[in-house]
Amino acid sequence: MEQIISVEKLRMKFPGEESMIFKDLSISFGKGEKVLLLGPSGCGKSTLLQVLSGLIPNSIEVPLKGEKLKCPSSWGYVFQDPDSQFCMPFADEEIAFVLENLSVPKQEMKEKIQHHLHQVGLNLGAIHTSIDTLSGGMKQRLAIASVLALEPEVLFLDEPTAMLDPEGTKEMWELLKEVGRDKTVIVVEHKIDHVLEFIDRIVLFNDEGQIIADGPKDTILSRYKNEMKEHGIWFPGVWDEYVKNHAPVRKQPFTDDVPLIQVQDFSGFRNKEEKIKVNELQVTSGEWIVIRGENGAGKSTLLHALMQFIKTSGTYALMGTPIKRVENPTEHMTFVFQNPEFQFVANTVYEEIAYSLRIDKRPQQEINERVRSLLKVFRLEAHWGKHPFQLSMGQKRRLSVAASIVKDKKLILLDEPTFGQDSKNTFALLKWLEVYRSRGVTVIMVTHDDHISKNFATRILTVQDGNVIRDEKVIQPGCMEPKFLNIKGVSCR
Amino acid sequence: MTVTNAETWLYKINPSLKLFVLMVLCIVALFIDDLNYMINVTMGVLLIFLCFTGHSIKRIILLSIPFSFIFISTSLAMIFFGKGETLWFEWGLISITEESFMRGLLVGFRALLFAALGLTFSLTTRPVNLFYSLMQQVKLKPKYAYSFMAALRLIPIMMQEFQTIRNAMKVRGFERGTGVKSIYFKIKAYSIPLLSGSIRRAHRIAVAMEAKRFTDTRDRTYYYDFGFSKYDQGFILYFIILLLAGFFLSIQFPLVSI
Repeated sequence: MEQIISVEKLRMKFPGEESMIFKDLSISFGKGEKVLLLGPSGCGKSTLLQVLSGLIPNSIEVPLKGEKLKCPSSWGYVFQDPDSQFCMPFADEEIAFVLENLSVPKQEMKEKIQHHLHQVGLNLGAIHTSIDTLSGGMKQRLAIASVLALEPEVLFLDEPTAMLDPEGTKEMWELLKEVGRDKTVIVVEHKIDHVLEFIDRIVLFNDEGQIIADGPKDTILSRYKNEMKEHGIWFPGVWDEYVKNHAPVRKQPFTDDVPLIQVQDFSGFRNKEEKIKVNELQVTSGEWIVIRGENGAGKSTLLHALMQFIKTSGTYALMGTPIKRVENPTEHMTFVFQNPEFQFVANTVYEEIAYSLRIDKRPQQEINERVRSLLKVFRLEAHWGKHPFQLSMGQKRRLSVAASIVKDKKLILLDEPTFGQDSKNTFALLKWLEVYRSRGVTVIMVTHDDHISKNFATRILTVQDGNVIRDEKVIQPGCMEPKFLNIKGVSCR
Repeated sequence: MTVTNAETWLYKINPSLKLFVLMVLCIVALFIDDLNYMINVTMGVLLIFLCFTGHSIKRIILLSIPFSFIFISTSLAMIFFGKGETLWFEWGLISITEESFMRGLLVGFRALLFAALGLTFSLTTRPVNLFYSLMQQVKLKPKYAYSFMAALRLIPIMMQEFQTIRNAMKVRGFERGTGVKSIYFKIKAYSIPLLSGSIRRAHRIAVAMEAKRFTDTRDRTYYYDFGFSKYDQGFILYFIILLLAGFFLSIQFPLVSI
């Protein structure tokens, strides 16, 4: 096979960091190959993708050394965040930007733009459509369209579905299968359910950025299960394994039901527009409620309405008191944001957790004890003196949860807390939440992960077009009625 | 962020030319010392602003409110406290003289003129068009033009992030803190994540732009081509006539006598 990308003995180090990210790494890719790079978060997969494409060191200056470095001449790169890869405000202008870079004559542009939009199945009413009005999935389609305008031989995909819901993810991979058929494709992806059908080779990395396995996908998947589990890599069946090893996943239900939230004819508004409507909802202690629905259905809006971040109408009582008369609703409930960085207020991990207690002027001794125990539970003892921004993504998430629950809240609301986390961190977080739930804390979370609904939830709310259309309790502990949850490859125990 | 409106002939004027003409007018306005002349020119600009921007009357009135306030406040300051010979009214510190009154009106009209020119320009020019035109007519380097356009995309994203941080602060009980120390804390808590987020995002956009083969060469093609048309001639002609006719009218038919 003709090699079109190869590196030999690649050595690389980010300035200011102690250890090398790659040490004598050699890898090569043949023409037409479809390869998946797998590894724990922070192992350097995305960095490698940038080296292979030449973005490092041409666009991002990082010193590197290698005996041979062969980058493809014609390539396209799809990034994970749909919001930060466009530089123009309208869809047609974004693709035109690529065409301009290639010096395509103006007369040919309109036709090419239409062709590429059609190619990715983005049927906009008019090509001059504002990118801000597109959904996440449509934005990624546009990103692919603009990459296809480069007419690349090689496609680099850096978690292109990271921000998409399961349906969008599936569609995205179907599209990539279609447009990537005659191209070399190198993928970094965490959610590997749909990628597997598409690729034929897997390269497996460990924490140190070394290749531990490289070969056909079936061989790797069957032989290296333990390594993948150890490194927190999502592989098919990782959930089955977790459920098997941790049965029963669901602890005893919390029995004395204390009503926590009661709402009736409840609506949440954004910019004076009704975005979510709940006819009736009662939440009691010890429930684990999962809110499901498509991107943009109003799941997060429901959480925001319950937290009173947005204007609401109707009756809403928190522990029997109308919400407007509750002095500090955040004393009783807390919210964990998708991006943990927004929540950090202090200079060290320790102070971050202590923050809410200090506002309340609790005695130093109590603060110290409480913080220490939480640091231990959330495996952050070693990092107590660091600035929160210095932590890894998984650690930041754990810290944001720890800081939110420091004051024994009765209600924890979470907005996609397992998003972008490796399997180790995901299971650890879910386990802690389950412990809190079994003590009577109520968990309400928005998640796209059907495995969570299936294995942890006690109740499932389905949101569609701003309405709660279904409210189901999980009948048997540990298993749901199969009729409304149909997950491929997951059996009900 | 986007507002819908009808596109009038003002939209068809070459953006660079429009910017240049309006800037020249601003400079000219600095040298107009005659109140009658000033009023005439301002009326001519207001006519364009009120009738030809293609925006609804409601929006125009809404936008005019702050500028009317500027007009009144700048005039009043001069009228009340300016020096002059012919005293009309005196009360404590306030003394209105004929000279200060005229001077006040002149300053007020000048402020109004600046506001009307600025609004007319920004209401009828898409930033993307302006930068394309600047690249083509003024030979602005594509590097700067596209950076500005990319930066404009960051503004709504930053506004969203600001809202999120506010909510996050609420959850942490941040709003309850009072005193100077808490203000310092608040500034820090808002600005650091906002800045770090923006820097990271800007960097990502820059990398994405280079991944799409953006280079700083000038021999690129353009999706939008901007040339000159009869609208541009009309636009220039309008202001030449306005300046001349305004001057003539101010001598022949003065509205106020000085």
